[in-house]
Amino acid sequence: MIRVENVRKSFGQTPVLDGVDLTIAPGEVVSILGSSGSGKSTLIRCINGLERLSGGRIMVDEFDVSMPKELAEARKRSGTVFQLFNLYPHMTVLGNITLAPIEVLKKPRGEAEARARALLESVGLGGRADAYPAQLSGGQRQRVGICRALAMQPRYLLLDEVTSALDPEMTAEVLTILAKLAQDGTTMLFVTHEVEFARQISDRIVFLDKGRLLVDLPTKDFFDNSGGMAQPRVAQFLSKMRKD
Amino acid sequence: MRFTDFTAFDLVLLAQGLGVNLALFLGTSLIGLVIGIAWAIVRYYRVPVLSAFITFFSELLKNSPVLVQLFLVFFGLPGLLHIRVTPVTAAAITLSANTAAFVYVIAVSGIESIGRDQLEAARVFGLSRWQVLRHIVAPQAAAFALGPLIALLVNQLQVTSLISVIGVVDLTKIGNILNMRTLKPFVVWTAVGLLYFAAAKLVAFAGSRFEKRLRAHSAWRGL
Amino acid sequence: MRLDLSVLLPHLGFLAHGALLTAEACALALIGSVVMGAFVAIARTSSSALLQRVSYLYVDIFRNVPFIVQLFFLYYGLPEVGIYIDAFTTGVIALSIAGGAYASDVIRAGILAIDQGIIEAAEVSGLSRRVLFTRIVLPIALRTSVRPLGSVLINMTLTSSILSTITLNELTGSAQIVVSQTYRPFEVYVVLLVVYAALTYLVSLAIALLHRRLNRDMMEAVT
Repeated sequence: MIRVENVRKSFGQTPVLDGVDLTIAPGEVVSILGSSGSGKSTLIRCINGLERLSGGRIMVDEFDVSMPKELAEARKRSGTVFQLFNLYPHMTVLGNITLAPIEVLKKPRGEAEARARALLESVGLGGRADAYPAQLSGGQRQRVGICRALAMQPRYLLLDEVTSALDPEMTAEVLTILAKLAQDGTTMLFVTHEVEFARQISDRIVFLDKGRLLVDLPTKDFFDNSGGMAQPRVAQFLSKMRKD
Repeated sequence: MRFTDFTAFDLVLLAQGLGVNLALFLGTSLIGLVIGIAWAIVRYYRVPVLSAFITFFSELLKNSPVLVQLFLVFFGLPGLLHIRVTPVTAAAITLSANTAAFVYVIAVSGIESIGRDQLEAARVFGLSRWQVLRHIVAPQAAAFALGPLIALLVNQLQVTSLISVIGVVDLTKIGNILNMRTLKPFVVWTAVGLLYFAAAKLVAFAGSRFEKRLRAHSAWRGL
Repeated sequence: MRLDLSVLLPHLGFLAHGALLTAEACALALIGSVVMGAFVAIARTSSSALLQRVSYLYVDIFRNVPFIVQLFFLYYGLPEVGIYIDAFTTGVIALSIAGGAYASDVIRAGILAIDQGIIEAAEVSGLSRRVLFTRIVLPIALRTSVRPLGSVLINMTLTSSILSTITLNELTGSAQIVVSQTYRPFEVYVVLLVVYAALTYLVSLAIALLHRRLNRDMMEAVT
């Protein structure tokens, strides 16, 4: 279980998260929606420890991410996929995926590579294990990013706008894979602009506005006129997204 | 042989040595600047044979050790031309030429940093090549080249230490003398090092002060 | 004025041996410089203020004190503390320390130029600081630093001529001996000049090749 408790985060004088409470139970698929600047990415970066909290607490299972030793354990349980892929440019696809399992989980090389190849197969990149990131398309790089996160066998998968940097065709190929992962029961926390996608695969949708969590409802209720849509900001946001 | 300890006069010796370095540094830097810029102007005018020769000569000076250049001038020239050359003269000639080679490269890159469109506009207005050089190229090239030039000068100050090898009594030579006499290398060489360090910092400081004053006068920093 | 290069022919083998010594010293010192430079670069980019200041001081000192002074400090100083090593080793150590100062600047720039996102991805997957540096930061920084490190190597090749002042018979030292045997300083030193220039040219070619090979995989494929 991931527990976000009254989390506040400011960059200097600028508050970005203002008292956010959120719980994610194992097996849940939760999407975070909101306009730019609402604090969505910051929230995920607080959960995986890339940003330090200004107030409140985040627990990943029994580990407090603000404690350095506990953060290391928390990081073993979560995997992050980034908007800009962030693959290691000097390593092959296989190297990218096997680095952490070998160095952190201390898996033997043979085992790590076998698992890596299996993951690559499942995302349709079976023959590209020895390619370098520079030789791949955006969609392929993101698929490698997903494999890299999954290779650690994380309990929770954090996905930070993972299709925002892709064109529609590549976006579709990545979303297909993510939908399958959701179906298989992976616990996932999405920050995304893809409202339709969120609607299709999420159990719950959370709406963030100006650092505050305005709505936290099961998907059906979120899009219902008496539920999420009753909030003016939500309606405003969704109509803008539909216009695009 | 009596091994004496340090005396107060040794400080005077060290200061004199540093003075020799500084004097040669200032003199050769000035000459090197003038020659290097002159070479760059020759290249600006695209003088056919001379430009190629200058480039070749400059590359040779830049890509060979200063020590060897010093040996060539001090030991080689007298044999070839049947003239007598004092260590100081040899040092002055060598360091001036060496500095000129680096100044040339910096000046050329400064000139080439100016956009072609400015030069074309100026020529189309009827300005002569000299006028373009004087009013448009030179000020901007100078602004561009100032930083690298200061760094070059700090480096050339270090290089003057090599004149001790051909017998000029500079700070390093004094260091050798004191070392031989007192047999206290750590004290001697630390003192020598400190003096060179202080001198280098002085040059760098003077350079940045000059840079600031220059920038204060020109409002158009980087369009 | 007579120029007779043939006088050098019988001594070519001896000079070649000197050149080999130069190459050996520079190769070893390059490794030493890169290792030192990497450590210092990591210290300068670390979060410890003390480490940052100490490493900055090291770089500042060894870039503003002439190499010959650094060399004499080691050569005359080490025996005083009971360390007796030969001229070659002393020279390599001195070159490594001086080269390390310049190399650290280069590697530091390489480290700072790494995309933050890559570091974040590595941190978030639980990699320890040590693994982060040895498997991610340094490999990437070194690949992008190949060209500027090449300049450091070229500089080192030229600076190595100063090792002749501590009785090492590298290329310049050997040339001096040939001069004393042939009484033809001009010919010898002119050839020496050209040989050094040729050496540095070869090194720059090798660097360009190495840069291409190492960065080949990281360059975007032409679509």
